[in-house]
Amino acid sequence: MSYVIPIGPYHPALEEPYKIELTCDGERVKDAKQFVQFNSRGIEWLLERRNYIRDIALTERVCGICSHLHTLVFCMAVERLADIKVPERAQYIRIIMAELERLVSHLLWLGIAAEIVGFQTVFMTCFALREKLMDVSENISGNRVHFSMNCFGGVYRDIADSESISRAIQQVKQEIERTLIPVFSTDRTIRARCEGVGVLSREQAQAWGAVGPNARASGVPQDIRRASPYATYDQLEFQIPVETSGDVLARVVVRLLETLESIRIIEQSLNRMRPGPININKYITVPQGETTARAEAPRGECFYYVASNGSDTPLRVKIRTPSFVNMPTVRLMVLGANLADVPLIQASIDPCYSCTSR
Amino acid sequence: MDIETIRIELNIKQASKRQTDGWWLEDPGLDVTAMARLMTGIKARLATITARPLEDGSNRLIYHWDLEGTVINLATVTRNNSLPSIANICPAANWIEREIHDYFAVDFTGREDLQPLLLRSDSPSGLFHWKNDGGDKR
Repeated sequence: MSYVIPIGPYHPALEEPYKIELTCDGERVKDAKQFVQFNSRGIEWLLERRNYIRDIALTERVCGICSHLHTLVFCMAVERLADIKVPERAQYIRIIMAELERLVSHLLWLGIAAEIVGFQTVFMTCFALREKLMDVSENISGNRVHFSMNCFGGVYRDIADSESISRAIQQVKQEIERTLIPVFSTDRTIRARCEGVGVLSREQAQAWGAVGPNARASGVPQDIRRASPYATYDQLEFQIPVETSGDVLARVVVRLLETLESIRIIEQSLNRMRPGPININKYITVPQGETTARAEAPRGECFYYVASNGSDTPLRVKIRTPSFVNMPTVRLMVLGANLADVPLIQASIDPCYSCTSR
Repeated sequence: MDIETIRIELNIKQASKRQTDGWWLEDPGLDVTAMARLMTGIKARLATITARPLEDGSNRLIYHWDLEGTVINLATVTRNNSLPSIANICPAANWIEREIHDYFAVDFTGREDLQPLLLRSDSPSGLFHWKNDGGDKR
């Protein structure tokens, strides 16, 4: 006989405002219904009632993890409309902050995955590394999470001490190579919990428009930094890790390898940055028009549409976060899965409930 | 497939427009189901759909596709604030159509359900219309 198990919106297995209703046959999940409306803040509506400058601060609040990326994409869209060329040094600083954010996000996720699996020491290692990187972000921007770095035409703050950043990320790199990669790739408990669990096929990932590490773990080699380069990504060398098994382990491996690529990107950016202006240092006017912009957030493509009627307030701002398109794929991953694996499968897409509802 | 072939295949009269963000195609009478079949057939990925209210009460809908790294924006207009759903052809549209129904009350026909996604189950659809602060700038 089938029975229905509601998990959420307040539940120790899923600590955010989200609900998944599982129809089970014994321990097997037969169907799932997802509910994401608990955190809807109407940010798009608010954006259309504030001027462009105030909107930067608001887009930063879409997400607590990839806040820099949201302001970056919003600024890129407005810069396109206003035909603004961003100085090269600012482009590199934007990239460095974006990659620091990716590192912090991936280490947070790897830590949470370890905790769900029951591996507390790995959780502590990931969070200790994350703390180092948050210190780096704080040294640059003055903030641990909402960096407030982006402005129209560049960034607000320069990077004065490249060497200390370089030292810190080297320490993180050594620890990832020395501890995290061996543990996540060889530990029997992690493999037993993650291998073959929560599979999303390549065809499913493409049909449902999955993005980021979730798509890449299912064999879809899609990354906006490579497919449609922005800032100075086209001048940097980095790999796009892709796995084909589509299971939780593949999502772990892709994110783990991406941390090393982010470190490579930061190192190159620090070395290539030349002295120069970091913003255009003037107020902008946004002419009538419409455009789109997108960038690769830690969770995948972040897509913005901005329309202007020539006033100081946007006519329309549409935000499509990566979690919004990744979230529906959880239903496909849990079908046929063991009930006890559902929290790990759900967590394996690195969901952001704040992003999804906005 | 290049943009000109897409325009001809979809019977769009207006010329395509190249912007810094990608290609733009506009057709108020666009056959969205034919568009979905064509775009999914050439392995384009639906990034999202943007709805934008117009002064006459209808909505402008822009289907943003990614074709091998290039954004192709296909814009159309709702008819009686309704359009055929493409969720059965392109599953990626499933949640996007539900969100647009929540905020702009666009009725997507031919799909199984249009349950609220971001609003409570007892909330009326069209939040961006009825939650008007009197200063409607559209």
